[in-house]
Amino acid sequence: MALGTVTRRLGNKLFTVLSPTPRLLHSHATSFGFKQVNEDEKARMVGDVFTSVASSYDLMNDLMSVGLHRLWKDRLVSKLNPFPGMKHLDVAGGTGDVAFRILESIHKVKLRGLRGAFQDTLEAETQIYVCDINPKMLNVGKRRASEKGFGEDGSLVWVEGNAESLSFQNDSMDGYTIAFGIRNVTHIEKVLSEAHRVLKPGGRFLCLELSHVGIPVFKDLYDYYSFSVIPYMGELVASDRESYQYLVESIRRFPSQEKFASMIADAGFQKVEYENLVAGVVAIHSGLKI
Amino acid sequence: MYRTAAKRLVSGARYYYTGKVGLRFRPSQILIPSSRFSTSETQPLPIPVATETETPNSSDSSPSSSSSSTATKPRAKYEDQQTRVLQASLSYVLKLGWTEAALVAGARDVGLSPSIVGSLPRKEATLVEYFMDGCLQRLVDKIDSDESLKNLTPSDCISKLIRFRLEMQAPYISTWPQALSIQAQPVNVPTSFKQRAVLVDEIWHAAGDNASDIDWYAKRTVLGGIYSTTEIYMLTDSSPDFRDTWAFLDARVKDAFDIKKTIQEAQYLAEAVSTGLGNSFQGFVGKVFQR
Repeated sequence: MALGTVTRRLGNKLFTVLSPTPRLLHSHATSFGFKQVNEDEKARMVGDVFTSVASSYDLMNDLMSVGLHRLWKDRLVSKLNPFPGMKHLDVAGGTGDVAFRILESIHKVKLRGLRGAFQDTLEAETQIYVCDINPKMLNVGKRRASEKGFGEDGSLVWVEGNAESLSFQNDSMDGYTIAFGIRNVTHIEKVLSEAHRVLKPGGRFLCLELSHVGIPVFKDLYDYYSFSVIPYMGELVASDRESYQYLVESIRRFPSQEKFASMIADAGFQKVEYENLVAGVVAIHSGLKI
Repeated sequence: MYRTAAKRLVSGARYYYTGKVGLRFRPSQILIPSSRFSTSETQPLPIPVATETETPNSSDSSPSSSSSSTATKPRAKYEDQQTRVLQASLSYVLKLGWTEAALVAGARDVGLSPSIVGSLPRKEATLVEYFMDGCLQRLVDKIDSDESLKNLTPSDCISKLIRFRLEMQAPYISTWPQALSIQAQPVNVPTSFKQRAVLVDEIWHAAGDNASDIDWYAKRTVLGGIYSTTEIYMLTDSSPDFRDTWAFLDARVKDAFDIKKTIQEAQYLAEAVSTGLGNSFQGFVGKVFQR
């Protein structure tokens, strides 16, 4: 067994060395996990991954993050600071986790009686658009919305669409969130510029994404957990090792916290900040459109 | 040693005046100390650690000159928009209080999405601090422009300036208790304390006292106590144009310049602090009237 472990780790290292580092900003080639693929293929391959995991998405999220992803999403929504009458866009939010939290937060705001400022906007309806490129994920979200009692509420609108070319008007959204989704797009810059386009002046962009751990010892433990435990767990629970192998590999390919923050600033956002959670396993980036 | 510390503090305060009156934000602490990256540059004030508890933001320095020239403008633009929101929010304070609701109404007035309120880490505290900074600026402008101050005795000068400063709060007197409670919250105490310290320093300098010896701290404490007690007295003063408050203020300033009353003044300060920490306000007023 020890020999098998050593062989597996050595294989990973060799594979890493053999594949050249992709230049995400300018190359027409792009990355799918550690593999180099054509741009057209990435969208299809990512689609296959999420089609494959849609039904067991939430279960695997709970297992992989020991339930922490719920706290991470709570934190994301608290940073967003939702308000009644808000027009919000949640991208790559097919199963509705973030959208449901936003709606619950808005209901709390109403109950807290901040009625003075929102009197005129209570008549204006809250609209939470959930946009996902994968219709299976959207179907999971719609079913869960019905189970939670959000189905009859007209606030939730489910839209199938690509984050790189949104079908919404300019300056139409108060908030834009993308949770665990921007890592899977082909052109991060296009997603960021689209987010900037659809936001109103004063609107905020928030991104929750698996990121990079910087603390040395913790990083080793995290690497072991990522490359040994998660794919095995995926095989055991969801009968799908390849999809979760892709997941952990794509995390390593994603830009670092500082680099991604500068990409957000390059897209035109101001007051760009990020907050690491669990020492950088997850990072919340935020930006403001003026 | 005290002299050196005082000089550093005074020079820091001076730097604060000449610099842009801006708002500083504290990084949020969740699970672990957060690592923050921001494109906005906040120059740290050279104030001793004893009074400076904020951590300066790390800034993104770009090697390209053209990029740095574009970097300067967006930062100013964001702060301008934030100032516009805060200024517009002040007109809603009487109706909505020092609340997020006022900030939301202000943002809507200037044509921005209320989402911008979510980008202010301490929200209503930011609004109170903006108001305090604005009042300080007006006080400094008056000190610079009012020639008659130089002909006054120190006690008259101090009384006049404190009155001028507290009159700025008169329009918001009905909601000022809420602002005081916001300033007294633990996360906001460092900023509000510093704002009051700077205010007191400016008043002493205007009165002609530029000393930086050991007595400087005692004077600062006494004047801070006078300001705080008068401010709290003002909250329940229903006399025309706060006449009773100004009489109270004049008496306290006169006491401060009377050596025999020094101990009494320390008691007033202690009572003001305990009041600020939540003791019964009516009890405090009762004690004041008995004397």
